[in-house]
Amino acid sequence: MLIEAILLALWAGIAGIDQFNVLTHLHRPIVTGLVVGLILGDVKTGLLAGATLEFVWMGMVPLAGAQPPNVVIGGVMGTAFAILLDQDPKVAVSIAVPFAVAVQGAITLLFTIYSPVMHKMDSCAENSRHRATDLLNLSGMAVLFLFNAIITFLPIYYGVETAKSLVESLPSWLMDGLTVAGGIMPAIGFAMLLTVLLKKEYIAFLLAGFAIVTYSDISLLGLAILALAFALYDYYRGESPLKEGKKGGI
Amino acid sequence: MASEDQALNRNGEAGPQEKVLSRRDLWAMAFRSFFLQSSFNYERMQAGGWLYSLMPALKKIYREPKELAAAMKRHLEFFNTHPFLVTPILGIVAAMEESREKPDTIRGIKVGMMGPLGGVGDAVAWLTLLPITAGIGAAIAMEGSFAGPIFFLLTFNAIHFVLRFGGVFYGYNAGVRAIHKLKTGTQAISRAASIVGLMVVGGMIASYVKLSTSAKVPIGKDAFDIQKELLDKIMPNLLPLAYTLLMYFLLRKGYSPLKLIVITVFLSVVGKYFGVL
Repeated sequence: MLIEAILLALWAGIAGIDQFNVLTHLHRPIVTGLVVGLILGDVKTGLLAGATLEFVWMGMVPLAGAQPPNVVIGGVMGTAFAILLDQDPKVAVSIAVPFAVAVQGAITLLFTIYSPVMHKMDSCAENSRHRATDLLNLSGMAVLFLFNAIITFLPIYYGVETAKSLVESLPSWLMDGLTVAGGIMPAIGFAMLLTVLLKKEYIAFLLAGFAIVTYSDISLLGLAILALAFALYDYYRGESPLKEGKKGGI
Repeated sequence: MASEDQALNRNGEAGPQEKVLSRRDLWAMAFRSFFLQSSFNYERMQAGGWLYSLMPALKKIYREPKELAAAMKRHLEFFNTHPFLVTPILGIVAAMEESREKPDTIRGIKVGMMGPLGGVGDAVAWLTLLPITAGIGAAIAMEGSFAGPIFFLLTFNAIHFVLRFGGVFYGYNAGVRAIHKLKTGTQAISRAASIVGLMVVGGMIASYVKLSTSAKVPIGKDAFDIQKELLDKIMPNLLPLAYTLLMYFLLRKGYSPLKLIVITVFLSVVGKYFGVL
């Protein structure tokens, strides 16, 4: 079992990198099903479980970056357990989902504790050390690899059933709370943008953008076109601070 | 707004029109964009990967260490878009940096593009391309054939690579053509870019920040749903707006983004525990 567990962990690590980098989508269950099937010597069950999980995760995509239940761990665990426990591929779903939800919460934590890296990058940028900022950026892939590999290795090596009950005993408020946090977090990013973009004369446009989206079905592209229309009107009306006499002074 | 504004051209640096970027640099940027999300985090999201992707251009444009440092700092600000459609933005921004546009103008264009392209990318890649290719692939795999996964990887990535590598050239050429016109009044352009950028940020606050309360106050047999019957009546998205503005004021008070992230995680978990979120 050790060899298989290591191979599965390696695959989960690679898929974990692909989920956010390069994005060839070899991390989707349909591909993972085949690979896990090859590792565990049951390609047919692997393909069927992978395809079943693929349909489950079809709508679960990172819209606007919000993390859905983790597709990498869901795909690997679901397929591996279906084969190891000799279950119907459809059962793979009920095994995959608790793990996927737990890892979704863990990913939120991971992205939170990676924030200080930005400050390190800031200080490297101040000294124009671009090799260092390059390396700092790429370092995240090692973290993703280890994170996914370890999370896959432990339950498969130490027993599928115990791992499942352990995951299910995690308090739901903790996992759900981390999911809520992931939904709120963009507010901090937008607030940081506002600290550089917002000037008194532009508050009107911030409010307009917010109100239009809140009270209508417009898409962000539609809003951008509307914004462009305002900007063009403003531009040709010549209200810009370029005209002398109108003091910019803000 | 034509010739008389030429004198006001703010590009004081020597030889601003000089072309220094080659096709090779654009290829390098598109290749590096594969790692846009390597250092993804909640403080600035894809900012680290954005700087990494733009670096081939910045290195060539800014030979002076001081200038390069300033440019690098500017491009470490918050950034988030769709990982496939980042390359048109990279192309345009590279063209603008090459001709030494004002930082405010570049920032406005960058912010104005990232939100809409994020939405377009979600619709094109996650809600169209992925379901179609993976759906056909899964249907083939259901027959027990390994052709399913292979079909999926080939078709999905054919379109993925065309979008990614085509986008950087498209963006750069569009940028170069636009800059010709931009030259006439950088102040006015910067103002226009800020207008678009801020309106899009306003829209993104409404659509991307997810915050609502599930608290209910019992009144006799019924329960009074605070979100539905009070907050939504005042204004939908009231909480996302309020929370974003709170974060803004705390940042201006000198709170570090990291502190705000920790506070947010703490409030979310506690709020869930007491059933108010």
